Amino acid sequence: MEAITTAGTFFDGISARPRPVTLRLTFRLEILGEDVTRDWSLLDLRATDAASPVMRISHAQGAESAEFTDAAFAEALKARCPDLGRAEREGGLTRLVLWSIAAGVSVLLTAIYGVPAASNLIAPLVPRAIEAQLGRSVETQIVSLLGDPPLCDENAARAVLDRLAARLAEGMALPERPQVSVRRHTVANALALPGGRVILLSDIIAKARTGDELAGILAHEFGHVAARDPMRSVITAGGTSFLLSLVLGDLTGSTVLVTIGQAAISAGYSRDAERAADAYAVTAVKRAGGDGAALAAILERITKADDEKPDAIAFLRSHPFTAERAARIRSLAGEKPAGSGILSEAEWQSVQGVCPKPAKPDDGKKAAPTEKL
Amino acid sequence: MNQFDGVPSPAPARTGDIAFDRRTQGLTGIVVKGFLLSLVTFSIYRFWYITNLRRYFWSRTVVAGSPAEYLGTGKELFLGFLVALAVLVPVYIVLFVVGLLSPILATLAAPISFIGLFVLGQYALFRGRRYRASRTRWRGIRLGQDGSGFAYAGLASLWWLGTILSLGLAFPFMRAALERYRIDHTLVGQSRMRSTATGRSILLPWMMFYIVALLPTLLSILALLAATGFDIPSDLLIQDPANEKSNLIFNPAYEDTPFASYGAAVVIAASVSIPLALLLIPYYRARETRAFFNAAHLGEARLTSSLKARRFYVPYLVYMLAVIGFILVLGIIFALLVPLIATDGQNPGIHAFVIASTVLLYLGAILGTNVLYVRIVTVRLWHAVAATTQIENLPALEAVLASTRAPASGLNEGLADALDVGGALEIGF
Repeated sequence: MEAITTAGTFFDGISARPRPVTLRLTFRLEILGEDVTRDWSLLDLRATDAASPVMRISHAQGAESAEFTDAAFAEALKARCPDLGRAEREGGLTRLVLWSIAAGVSVLLTAIYGVPAASNLIAPLVPRAIEAQLGRSVETQIVSLLGDPPLCDENAARAVLDRLAARLAEGMALPERPQVSVRRHTVANALALPGGRVILLSDIIAKARTGDELAGILAHEFGHVAARDPMRSVITAGGTSFLLSLVLGDLTGSTVLVTIGQAAISAGYSRDAERAADAYAVTAVKRAGGDGAALAAILERITKADDEKPDAIAFLRSHPFTAERAARIRSLAGEKPAGSGILSEAEWQSVQGVCPKPAKPDDGKKAAPTEKL
Repeated sequence: MNQFDGVPSPAPARTGDIAFDRRTQGLTGIVVKGFLLSLVTFSIYRFWYITNLRRYFWSRTVVAGSPAEYLGTGKELFLGFLVALAVLVPVYIVLFVVGLLSPILATLAAPISFIGLFVLGQYALFRGRRYRASRTRWRGIRLGQDGSGFAYAGLASLWWLGTILSLGLAFPFMRAALERYRIDHTLVGQSRMRSTATGRSILLPWMMFYIVALLPTLLSILALLAATGFDIPSDLLIQDPANEKSNLIFNPAYEDTPFASYGAAVVIAASVSIPLALLLIPYYRARETRAFFNAAHLGEARLTSSLKARRFYVPYLVYMLAVIGFILVLGIIFALLVPLIATDGQNPGIHAFVIASTVLLYLGAILGTNVLYVRIVTVRLWHAVAATTQIENLPALEAVLASTRAPASGLNEGLADALDVGGALEIGF
């Protein structure tokens, strides 16, 4: 076989001293220098990455290596060494990709199906004290998410609301007595939180035309409390977002995806829960002597208003289609009972005044500041 | 590039150049492949991507005629990440639960976890550097790093505390102290590197940055304090009386007092200084890199750097122009799509097409900026540092002997990845 030679540098892997050598390629690679003589089998040669004019070959066993810059020699070497490019560490890229996809999909499925199932099991096991604590934290978060709406605590109205809440809760299977609070807000909505906390936003009281409608909304939220839906959805949302952020790295703005995913998943989950809460509300309102179908009326009114003016926090309300719900509520409620409804006219008037117009900021300017901090 | 003629003549050169091939053939392929595979593998591929990038940059950095070599593997990084996750996940869960359940601890949980994660992050940075050092080989000799990650984290935390207490004046001294710790624990084979970096050597660039970027804001805050005899009334910021539980607002009672004007001065100073600070960062970085390189030596051999600050500006400038051009191209494509949406939004086929092309456009935009960033900023910065650095007294390096120390495990870098500190490629040491 024709012998090719070139000049190169030899490193013994023990010292950084470069040793000028002559590389001689036949059916073996001979390295000849002042105090070096090596005779390497071509099967043992491995090329390692190097900037293009430089070629670096090392011996498969041991730490010795040689560098040279002769392109023709490099070509000849590549032609004669079968294992030159063999990299022990590479390989299995397809396997890696498939396994990662499988792992990712499995975590996703867990997030979509496993977490809600697990939260169904865990939610009833959460001790009352912890749930109450959790409710407090979630309320703080939701309130700041809503833009810190002020609490409405008009005394007479509160008394009526408390009586209404007590009547609705009476005889229904509630884990605890719900605590109802009203906040001034321009979105017609009501929320149930862990620990039996229910928040009514003032606009829903403004949109209600009768006491029965308000009672229906309140009872619907009590229905969520009775089913421990808020606890469940907190566990689900926490678990899902945790899993999703675990799976999705930080390469493509994943936080957005996490949020979207969470919202989509929890919306799918809520639909059944909403139907159950509707049924609960109808029963509770009827038992308290009101018109169960009033809930349907106010739902339709709110939805109509929302269609005209979509609001930023509509995601808080992931309710199924209103028409379908209203029809179901009406069929459950049956005939409208005789009587004036759940609240007397005077009581209803008083509830509507629960959120009096705020005092102008200037009025409180001198008095308010210091003690509030 | 003559430096590549790697055969040392019988009388070896006294100085050695560091070269980096800026043509970067094949780099785009690595980035595109890394991005797309990371996308489909839920970003698990990123460890292999980082490894490929490093192998590319290391092997094209030719130090005194011999290219460096990166020996790390993606699998090591991935395993390190898994272990770090196993350590961190319980910590995160505990922090989360504590924050949810106890309101008293919840207010403390945020600062405590911030401080805890900061210290852990410093630890992770140092350990990650250890992994990279032990996976770097040059002329058949592995680099290494000893020293303790905890000692480094403690040192860094104390220095940061001092820097904050001194209103930022101690910053260059902190940088120098940490640099000395890092370099003094860096080994090439059995030989230990030494750094004589001093805070004084970067005091001037830092002061320039400081005076332009930080001082106006600090001064205006001090003026605000002085105007009140260092006694800011506790009700300067009050809760908005308009609603019960609300954000803090500026107390209208103080509208006509000096507070308002000094407060405005703070805002104005900050709005001028912050953009200036961004403009001055490359300058400071370049000067610091030069000072620290000049201070590093290994026995008799020492590094010299003639890095000019403008070499750090050009890449960012080119990158900005490239991104603007890229956005224009995307905008044109998008403009072509708009009529489709406008004309027939109802047709499900077109609807799906529009959604698909929007997603593709989004991914394409991210991929494009990634490629541009690596090709323009990373490559040029790397090249700028390499090309301006020389090794003086090169023959002294021949005395370096390989070490029998076992290379550090991949666990060292896992924590850094899990905590999201440190990057795939760090310019400089």
